[in-house]
Amino acid sequence: MRGRLDRGALVGIVVLVLALGTSIPSPQAMAQTRTYKEAPMLAEQVRAGKLPPVAQRLPEDPMVVPTVESVGQYGGVWRRGFLGPGDFNNYHRVVYDALVRYSPDGTKVDMKLASSVQPSRDFTTWTVRLRKGAKWSDGSPFTADDIMFWYNDILLNKDVTPALPGWMRNRDGSAVVVRKVDDITVQWVYKEANTTFLMELANKDSGDRQFAAFLPSRYLKRFHAAYADKAQLDRMVADAKFKTWVELLAARNHPPENPERPTMAAWVPATRISDQLFVLRRNPYYVGVDSAGNQLPYIDTIQFKFFADAQALNLAAIAGQLDQQDRHINIVNYPVLKEREAKDKKYRVILWPTFGGTDASVILNQTYAKDPELGRLFQNKDFRIALSYAINRNEIKESTFLGLGEPRQPVAAPWHPYFPGDAVAKKFTEFRADEANRMLDAIGLTRKDAEGFRLFPGTTRRITIEISVVPAFGPWPDIAQLVAKNWQAVGIRTIVQVRDRALHFQMRQSNDLQSEIWNNDTSGFPFTGVPKYDPRSLLYGTLTTGPLWKAWYDSGGKEGAEPPAEVKRLVELIDTGKSANPQQQVRIAKELFQIWVDNMMEIGIIGLTPMVQGVVVLNPRLRNVPPTLGNDWPLRTPGNARPEQWFYR
Amino acid sequence: MLRVVVQRLLLLPLLLAVFSILVFALVQAPPGDFLTSYIATLAASGSSVDQAQVEALKVQFGLDQPFAVQYVRWMQNLLRGDLGLSLEYQRPNAELIGEYLVLTVVLALFSFVFTWLLAIPAGIYSATHPRSPLDYVLTVLNYIGVATPNFMLALILMWGAFSWFGISVTGLFSPEYIQAPWSLARVVDLLRHIWVPMIVIGIAGTARLTRIMRANLLDELNKPYVITARAKGLSEWRLVLKYPVRVAINPLVSTIGWYLPQLFSGSLIVATVMNLPNIGPLLLRALVGQDMYLAGSILMIYAFLTVVGTLLSDIFLAWVDPRIRMEQ
Repeated sequence: MRGRLDRGALVGIVVLVLALGTSIPSPQAMAQTRTYKEAPMLAEQVRAGKLPPVAQRLPEDPMVVPTVESVGQYGGVWRRGFLGPGDFNNYHRVVYDALVRYSPDGTKVDMKLASSVQPSRDFTTWTVRLRKGAKWSDGSPFTADDIMFWYNDILLNKDVTPALPGWMRNRDGSAVVVRKVDDITVQWVYKEANTTFLMELANKDSGDRQFAAFLPSRYLKRFHAAYADKAQLDRMVADAKFKTWVELLAARNHPPENPERPTMAAWVPATRISDQLFVLRRNPYYVGVDSAGNQLPYIDTIQFKFFADAQALNLAAIAGQLDQQDRHINIVNYPVLKEREAKDKKYRVILWPTFGGTDASVILNQTYAKDPELGRLFQNKDFRIALSYAINRNEIKESTFLGLGEPRQPVAAPWHPYFPGDAVAKKFTEFRADEANRMLDAIGLTRKDAEGFRLFPGTTRRITIEISVVPAFGPWPDIAQLVAKNWQAVGIRTIVQVRDRALHFQMRQSNDLQSEIWNNDTSGFPFTGVPKYDPRSLLYGTLTTGPLWKAWYDSGGKEGAEPPAEVKRLVELIDTGKSANPQQQVRIAKELFQIWVDNMMEIGIIGLTPMVQGVVVLNPRLRNVPPTLGNDWPLRTPGNARPEQWFYR
Repeated sequence: MLRVVVQRLLLLPLLLAVFSILVFALVQAPPGDFLTSYIATLAASGSSVDQAQVEALKVQFGLDQPFAVQYVRWMQNLLRGDLGLSLEYQRPNAELIGEYLVLTVVLALFSFVFTWLLAIPAGIYSATHPRSPLDYVLTVLNYIGVATPNFMLALILMWGAFSWFGISVTGLFSPEYIQAPWSLARVVDLLRHIWVPMIVIGIAGTARLTRIMRANLLDELNKPYVITARAKGLSEWRLVLKYPVRVAINPLVSTIGWYLPQLFSGSLIVATVMNLPNIGPLLLRALVGQDMYLAGSILMIYAFLTVVGTLLSDIFLAWVDPRIRMEQ
């Protein structure tokens, strides 16, 4: 797995990111000399006079999408499965409809709807230039006004956006200024240097049902109180059973819920995600072409079939009824999939391991307050390190991850510029029960009861840890059992509690979890999005390292629990990283990982497995699918694999 | 008779009011709310949400009001016959339920007919030929049928169909007909798929019904009126069908009204396992995701149909068996 991506190409994410504005060759010359080709179904519509010719539908400087194997051919249906309306990120991952997007290996950001993004010398101003002549899927022009509508009427409207998202907030809390320069150029003006702008922009699609940073303003204004006729708007709200126009606007803006809403993606919804079959059809105005001048996408239609249950979806994949599926394929089914692959030859299976971090960690709650004695133990670094040594990771890897992945701590992957080296990545991961026992003795937990379980010092009370685990993703409940067995072996009584995920989340928020099993998938993005290393994103975010620390930061130190020095240092590093130059960012990320592991903030178990949507079932005729791929939510996998250039042979 | 019916109908609103409180209390009973489970779902598929996004989601889903306000709003709408909006689907509940209703009713009718067509003759045969080889075979099958949870049967059938024939027997339509408008071809496609879920859902009921029919009929067959009829020279099967069967079937008829809510509910677990597009999985989803208005609406309709179904049962019973009196 290591070295699967070209190390030479990875000079450092941000180095490349910053160079990008200029490094993308402008295909304008090509646009003037080349004639473009289009899908037969569109050519027919052009002949019938229902559609303008392809040259008029494409922007002046179309995006040239490199193909993985070869130039493809048009046609075909891509069958995929989904689990209902709540599974809309399934759609967002496939279309990845954003101004700029992450590269397949996830180490740089490429232009998509924007033709260039240029920072000022001090990184306070970012100039975004759109592709001239690009059009929405309904044929209406895509311009700077579509970004200004988002800025003025969504972001700055308190009814729609009650709280400014982090990337649009200056350090003094004021909103970042966005201004229109000309019809296709928009500038973001920050008060401080911002070196993470491109990475943020690469995630401002409609994923997670947020408002994208560019919106079909002409279409959406009819649902916005600032533009629509009030009586008419009120009637629309009532008819759709909503209570406010904001709810209506949000629903009508979300493409999977509303096929009428124009998009810029390669495929546009033809039915709704609340239907049994969620169908996407090719966008005749998509801005991408291949190197031969064929307008993309190659594949005509995507069919998402509804499954009430993930197991039924897995069965359909095994039966060869899905053409490409990574999401909801359970790693536990990997052996069955391989067996059937060889027998039926209806599909092939490839693996896209996670983008660093861990696929299973145990996290101890350092602000646990219900049992202060236990909480104090969790705060003891040596206690956490001892518990890390007590875990037999190879056994867990073999029996629950089918031998895939490797024992490691939650830090960047070896192929990533932020990789801090094996000394950090493998620290405390050796199975050393004797050392664990020695350390537990050394911190005073020497007295044991008749069954050999350690007692709280000076009492006859057993130390008992509850691991809360959610049956999400993969084999987490089994991992919890093995960890419990390992911890019992060094005298720490451990109970595994399998919980419904809503209850687990509720308890995490209310600071009621003692410990949990979760994953850390943010190692490639410590400065953007919702990094799991940042205690301020704890509440809804992520890990239960210390829920009360967030309250402390939110209240300016009046409530919650004051974090220890190392946690304060983490926050400092993350904030510095947001405006540091690329070389500094690499150094800062490495320091961050060092602190995270040295203090055992999170006991990493196994990482780099294909657990999270990394077991990929493919129709053998489907070509141009990259055999290796950076796989993570910020990368919108499989969207970063450029599905518009996939084709059937 | 009429008075009883009117009395029952007058009681209906009161019963439903009690149900509505129960339903809402139950739907709200699990910890957390729609937003918690929504965010948990997002996180369990790889994304994580920050505070600003949570605030935005609250506004977008209309969850910024306190719980009591939301409940009162729902009740007010319900009184006007408005079932409100599904949070997860972001579509009116009435529209959603309507969409799932046809297939739910069709599937339930099929398994209902299957159950009765199979169970009544089998029960009669077993009772009139007690301890015969076929009676023993039927008895064993019945025990297995009653004792096997139907979702288990569904899983076994799915596995068997897949490993022997390489087909997956989930769903009610081939892919090309899932979204198609109704046509003859679509009906044929439905008939090709519906028999497996029909058997799975119907089998336990069939077994139970056969046992009841057999036991009831055995009780009747030794009664003096049967002997009298036989002495008068009635042919054996006319005799059995005309008198004891009509008496023995009474307890079954009295349960027929209970099928009304079942017609609507869809078989929850089987439908989820077999990926059937009926109301069962819709309700399960709504409950798990704490989509309180959708779950509440489905459960309220269910309660309504249960009450009406019981009433219909009583009326039906009085009609089949003239000995039954409704006066109080």
